[in-house]
Amino acid sequence: MEDTPEMLLGTIVYAVINSVILIMMSIGFNLTFGISGISNFAYGALYIFAAFTTYMLLQMVGLPYPVAVLISIVLTAAIGALMYRFILMRVRGQVLSEVIATFGIGLAILEFFRYLGFVGVEYALPVFIDDSFMIGDVFVDAQRLIIVAASIVIVGLLWLFVHFTSLGLAFRGIAQDERTALTFGMDSDWIATMSVSLGAALAAIAATIIIPLGTISVSQGYDVLINALAVSIIGGLGSTGGVIVASLVVGFAQRFTDTYIGSHWTMIVSLAAILIVLVIKPSGIYGKQKELEERI
Amino acid sequence: MIMIEVQNLMVFFENALALNDFSMKIEEGEIVGVIGSNSAGKTTLMNTLSGLIIDMRTKEKRKGGERITIYGKIIYRGEDISEMSPSDRVKKGIVLSRERHPVFHESSVLENLKIAGYLRKQSEIREGIEYACRLFPALVALKGRKAGFLSGGEQQMLAIGMSLVVRPKLLLLDEPLLGLSPMMQKMLVEAICRLKDEFGTTVLVTEQFARPVLPIIDRGYVIENGMLTLAGTGRELMDNPEIKAAYFGI
Repeated sequence: MEDTPEMLLGTIVYAVINSVILIMMSIGFNLTFGISGISNFAYGALYIFAAFTTYMLLQMVGLPYPVAVLISIVLTAAIGALMYRFILMRVRGQVLSEVIATFGIGLAILEFFRYLGFVGVEYALPVFIDDSFMIGDVFVDAQRLIIVAASIVIVGLLWLFVHFTSLGLAFRGIAQDERTALTFGMDSDWIATMSVSLGAALAAIAATIIIPLGTISVSQGYDVLINALAVSIIGGLGSTGGVIVASLVVGFAQRFTDTYIGSHWTMIVSLAAILIVLVIKPSGIYGKQKELEERI
Repeated sequence: MIMIEVQNLMVFFENALALNDFSMKIEEGEIVGVIGSNSAGKTTLMNTLSGLIIDMRTKEKRKGGERITIYGKIIYRGEDISEMSPSDRVKKGIVLSRERHPVFHESSVLENLKIAGYLRKQSEIREGIEYACRLFPALVALKGRKAGFLSGGEQQMLAIGMSLVVRPKLLLLDEPLLGLSPMMQKMLVEAICRLKDEFGTTVLVTEQFARPVLPIIDRGYVIENGMLTLAGTGRELMDNPEIKAAYFGI
């Protein structure tokens, strides 16, 4: 195989798409952590839950695609909220218990689908538009372009939401100084419920636009969680800017290794990126969690 | 008319007694001061009045941390609010501005004021921001600046401005003069007087140093080790020989 300019362009185009997919996979996880300090390890499971729910509503109930998608996003958000109200609230503040509880819920959801026999290539969601385009000499299908466009819209909407709505501003307040936020009449449990719920909804939205590229499988739930963790650790937990930069770093590194070194090195590159970041700046590129300790 | 009455309040953190059998009352439209040194229980009193302690107690309980116990009663306009959540108390008009100029460092001054208006409608927030800017004209020029980059005095003005957006009936100011220059202290003290005169807000203010606040308060309480040691009008406290010795160095 010879290096050609076309190959370079192709790699760049697919690296951008890969990065955008990583952003979508991790932004909800990171948002929940940024607002309420909860690491939602059921994140990957919620992603798969949304995909299977859409699939069932579409194939078994026979609802139109947009309706099925909408219902599954709402249901996933509701599960996030219930998870906080009935389980996380009781162990709030004990980080280890929060992680174990959410990871346990995630395992239960994922393995329940496996138990029900949701395994196989027939479990897939249709693409939105079955078409493809050429960017230069690179062949890109419509779904990947939709992912990029939808992600830009979603990140933009999120930005508007947290800067201009009352609930969004409350998120920003609670994230910065919870006790002060309480003096303005915010209810920390309500805001935390909303943050977990919004994170879950973002997982569902990510699943809706990304899953049509392939099939739905239980093991993907774990992959999504690992990707979300990796990107969040590299970018700095709780920082949306960090998620975007880290996704670009990891996304490009993965695609370029894939093309120029070999696909079996892809995973090693992302893990190496985590290790390097943890050695040089443990709180991540834009992280603030441990800034003080680092300075000392 | 009595606005809020504290009856025999006792607050324990584990076995440590932070407030011991403390009683006080505030009339509508008064400025009341609570004077005391470090660790006298001023902040605990403020947290108990604003209900923050209820939230702290719940969180510590979930975490399996420190045990917080509260005895005694707080009566606000005839209603017992001792066990009411902080957000419900804010809805009733009791607003706390915490010590050490609590502002949201990452947000701009304008955004800080907007965040503070969580419970208010858009139009009310706009009015509240105008109101804050009228009291502290210095804030207008700083609107776009990140709050973390403000000086201590500017942060304190912002912190009080934020409480005003909530439209307090009873404003609790926890050590608003802490760490500020004498000039800034004077300016803030004047602002506190204007709050009462122009907006009819009742104010409870705590301070370590009696000198700047004693002249403006209607009544004051002196606490030591969580216990009430002296109470009286501002004039009486200023003339009290013990206070003179302890707080004015005369």
